[in-house]
Amino acid sequence: MNDVLLNFPWFILFVPLVSALVITFFTKRNRGLSAGISIGAIVISFILSLILFVATGTDTVTSPKLSMDWLSVGNFIVDFGITIDPLSKLMLLIVTGVGSAIHIYSWGYMHEDRAVSRYFASLSLFTFSMLGIVLSNNFLQMFIFWELVGVSSYLLIGFWYERPPAADAAKKAFITNRLGDFGFLLGIIMVWSLLGSLNFTVLQEVIVNNPAALGGLATVVGLLLFCGAVGKSAQFPLHVWLPDAMEGPTPVSALIHAATMVAAGVYMLCRVYFLLNLSDSFALEVIGWVGGLTALLAALIAVQQNDIKRILAYSTLSQLGLMVMAVGAHQPVAGMFHLTTHAFFKALLFLGAGSVIHALHHEQDIWKMGGLKKKMPVTFWTFLIGTLALSGVPPFSGFYSKDFVLSAAYDANIGLFVIGVIVSVLTTFYMFRLFFVAFLGHPKSESAEHAHESPKVMTVPLQFLTVLSVVGGLIGVNHYVAKAKVFPGSEHHFPWYAEFIAPIVHAPVAALFGIFAVVVGFTVAYKFYAGAQRDPLPGKLGALSRAMRGRFYFDEIYSALIFMTHEAVAKLADAIDRWIIAGLLVRGTHGTTELFGRALRLVQTGNLQTYAFLIVAGVAVVLFYVLFR
Amino acid sequence: MTKYILTYIICCPLLAALILLFIPRNFRFVIRNLALLATAISALFALKMFFFDFTTGFPGRQLQHKVEWIGSLGINYHVAVDGLNVGLILMGAIVAFAAAAVSREINKYEKEFYVLLLVMTGGILGAFASYDLFFFYFFHELALVPTFIMIGLWGRGENKNYATFQITIYLSLGALLALVGLIALYLQLPPDSRTFNIAELTNYFSKNPMNVNAQNLIFPLLLFGFGILVSLWPFHTWAPLGYGSAPTATAMLHAGVLKKFGLYGLIRIALPLMPEAAQSWLHIIAVLCLGNIVYVGWVAMRQRDLNMLIGNSSVAHMGFCFLGIASLSLIGITGTVVVMVAHGFLAALSFALSGYIREQTNTLDMNKMSGLLRPMPFVGATLVMAAMAGCGLPGFANFAGEMMVLFGSWKGAFHTSGAAINWIVVAAVWGALVIGALYMLRAVRNILHGPVSAEFANVKDAGSRSIHGFAWWPKLPYVLLVGALLLFGFAPRLLTDKIKPSVDVLLDTAFGKPIQESATAQVAVEKP
Repeated sequence: MNDVLLNFPWFILFVPLVSALVITFFTKRNRGLSAGISIGAIVISFILSLILFVATGTDTVTSPKLSMDWLSVGNFIVDFGITIDPLSKLMLLIVTGVGSAIHIYSWGYMHEDRAVSRYFASLSLFTFSMLGIVLSNNFLQMFIFWELVGVSSYLLIGFWYERPPAADAAKKAFITNRLGDFGFLLGIIMVWSLLGSLNFTVLQEVIVNNPAALGGLATVVGLLLFCGAVGKSAQFPLHVWLPDAMEGPTPVSALIHAATMVAAGVYMLCRVYFLLNLSDSFALEVIGWVGGLTALLAALIAVQQNDIKRILAYSTLSQLGLMVMAVGAHQPVAGMFHLTTHAFFKALLFLGAGSVIHALHHEQDIWKMGGLKKKMPVTFWTFLIGTLALSGVPPFSGFYSKDFVLSAAYDANIGLFVIGVIVSVLTTFYMFRLFFVAFLGHPKSESAEHAHESPKVMTVPLQFLTVLSVVGGLIGVNHYVAKAKVFPGSEHHFPWYAEFIAPIVHAPVAALFGIFAVVVGFTVAYKFYAGAQRDPLPGKLGALSRAMRGRFYFDEIYSALIFMTHEAVAKLADAIDRWIIAGLLVRGTHGTTELFGRALRLVQTGNLQTYAFLIVAGVAVVLFYVLFR
Repeated sequence: MTKYILTYIICCPLLAALILLFIPRNFRFVIRNLALLATAISALFALKMFFFDFTTGFPGRQLQHKVEWIGSLGINYHVAVDGLNVGLILMGAIVAFAAAAVSREINKYEKEFYVLLLVMTGGILGAFASYDLFFFYFFHELALVPTFIMIGLWGRGENKNYATFQITIYLSLGALLALVGLIALYLQLPPDSRTFNIAELTNYFSKNPMNVNAQNLIFPLLLFGFGILVSLWPFHTWAPLGYGSAPTATAMLHAGVLKKFGLYGLIRIALPLMPEAAQSWLHIIAVLCLGNIVYVGWVAMRQRDLNMLIGNSSVAHMGFCFLGIASLSLIGITGTVVVMVAHGFLAALSFALSGYIREQTNTLDMNKMSGLLRPMPFVGATLVMAAMAGCGLPGFANFAGEMMVLFGSWKGAFHTSGAAINWIVVAAVWGALVIGALYMLRAVRNILHGPVSAEFANVKDAGSRSIHGFAWWPKLPYVLLVGALLLFGFAPRLLTDKIKPSVDVLLDTAFGKPIQESATAQVAVEKP
């Protein structure tokens, strides 16, 4: 292994940061150049990642560390190092590969915007932070990049900060993430204090040597760490920020709020899987159920949304729930597999939606679209393939990864398996609802009549992602990532031609239920929505439909909760501060002192000797009291 | 040059103040630029001292300068630096320059203003550098008194008079309590070996530990005396009100630098001299600091006035310093010193920005402001960075300090052994990550985001050519402060490698080894 190659990860990590800095400080005024630098940076990172991948294969290698630790005080040692194992290499390829496509697409989508340089600088900052999470070899380094990802997401959601909904959504996203980080940081502190290190490799050794090292706190620690994932991957009950985050530009939704950042929580769970998978810990059970619940809730909500981006957002929530559920079902490899294929087809779907929104002059209501097959053929066909992949139709990528998740659930807990199958039905249903209404039938509005295909700079990334969405399930992602040392056990291996039918051979029940779910979902969607002009469901479901459309009122409940707790306490604290501490005590003391002062004025004789005497007497009294009391 | 560098740093502003007295008041250009020059030279010396003259890794005093003064009382001019104060002096000198640079807003009695500003600067820097109790206290008073006068004369807002009154009484009371404590401390020495020298005091008491009763009497005097100066809850209400009414430069210098004097005094004097008392008061400090972090954080959430918000948030940040002190651990106290330095830059930056915004919009009511990021991109972006630093975003120095405090206090000395979860730290993490983000982002949302109203459509950004001659010059103070936050945020070891050995020795002399296992704690040898 030569040294240059070992240093590649440093370049992969820092090229986007350099790009962000150069754009911010030098090329702000030159829009094209800024975009070029940002796109160039991520493409370079992608190429380097590919070379690294090809050269090191499934090996776990360590890059040379920075010459000194970032912090080192007592036993609080935070080094700045890089882990290169199959898990991080897979994520590198996803982030830079899907990221490259989205960066290029962004130029087509955003080039007319006033602040396109700021856009690309933030995008590069995001890429840097995300790569940082992926490459971190210790908890605190990961937490640092974790926070930086949060802030770049804040900047990008609030990119159009002059629009109040965007500004509010950015704030909400950041604060909701912070709630999760609260648990995450406590978990990190506890791991450090119990196991004495922050470094993943060292921690894994400690756990392997002494599986009971966390003692009775194993569950608590596991759940606290999971809090981080709940925030970042938008799991119930902190899922509310993700749909609002759709206020950001659509390519941002594709990159950050579908393919990469929200996957960071799942990635983190896999990275620290050895801390969760302990015999005396119930953390994984809780994780599995939280994931399942999120998947189900979000899929139900998605059924009755009408904004194309919101449907996709709830779909993302739902799929993230499945990934988390897979981790909880003791099969993190399935989670990573689904993460990978989901990154492909969900990025594709978002970019496709962006293409439609772009063509329809920022119309996002699916009931005002329709009839796009002839007008936007590339978008139409690529979106269809994305829909098939997400629904889990064989042989598209989603089928294989979702099947893996289902079979993991089947092995772990029949309840989770049932949830998984219901979610699959709902997924197919809401995706084909979206597809029938938005793409087929007659144009339902003026702007849909005049839609036309997007430029090449937008359609080529769509085609690139389409290819990945088709073959993503068959290229062996699951076998590759299973080689990571953080995962226990080995993987079944099939010859390449058997990959096609592996699910059926391997876990026939899961595979058949998966296919059955697709058939049911599609049939129902076809019955209701093929050629529909209005949504028939509200009439049939009544209150349930209203609840789904109202997103089960989580936002309202939360704002009421926050209003009752933090706001009320803040009001109380402010009142105490104003009236009791500052008012009663300080002013009271002041008032008493003033009264006293008025009385004392009588003693004010103007006689210097008297004063001198009083001063000396006072000092004497104080000293006497202090020393000889 | 190197030998007397600390004296140069302190005397530069004081000397300039003296010269200013003899310059006629209508030479406004000369007055302002002389003040700028003096603070700039002082800051440059401080930079040289920090980066070149200071021997990193050496735990004891260095760069000492000692002049005999009143030998019979044991009072001497004695300045020196070690890990505890080297960062504070650098921070103080840079903040002083930034404060002088943003004082363009002052339009009456300019001469007096700059004289007081320079005296304040010299006083602060002197207080941090002094190893003699007398000068330690004297320099602090030298800085404190101008604060009151400046708020009274150049202050603003309808509460100005009450604020001046309150801050004067309150802080004088704190200083007085501390003074009584210090005198009592002095009197604990046998008459023949009485000294004001902090190093000798430490040395003496480490060999002959102080009577525990005396410790228990003196420690609270210092704790609450210094505590009032640092706005320890519930003695904090002077701070937001005072800063809200103070002129920008005064708020920057006081909130940023002078306030750290109390913390510095606690670490430098109270902990090593009275270890037993410190250990018995830890739990109280740990609980009070939650008052700062959580309770004042909530108070900050309710503020509508930007200055009141920054003032409250600055009180909240002091809680982390107290938490680190209460941990009595190497990591926690090192973190405390880092937070002190980081918060100095941050508070100065925040008040400088709010001063600029007020100058442009004539209001600090956050409900009236909206969309200011569009007309003032530079100030707006800097304010976003200040808000992010304030809610502990990595990359800014505050993050490194707060992390050390939180990690260090998880098993800190105030923690009841046996309990698995340290609830005080849990609450502090909540304050650091959630409450801080709530009020900081709310401020950003209200001030900078949203549509810009017509009223503010023509406010000017700092450094826009239409109001200032040079485009870069008005941005300099903000850039300096942000730069410092980023520098120590990215490379916190620039600070921690200097602080750690000194804290190690301090804890070692006070408590012996068991408090914190650690690498090397050689006995501090003096360096010239």
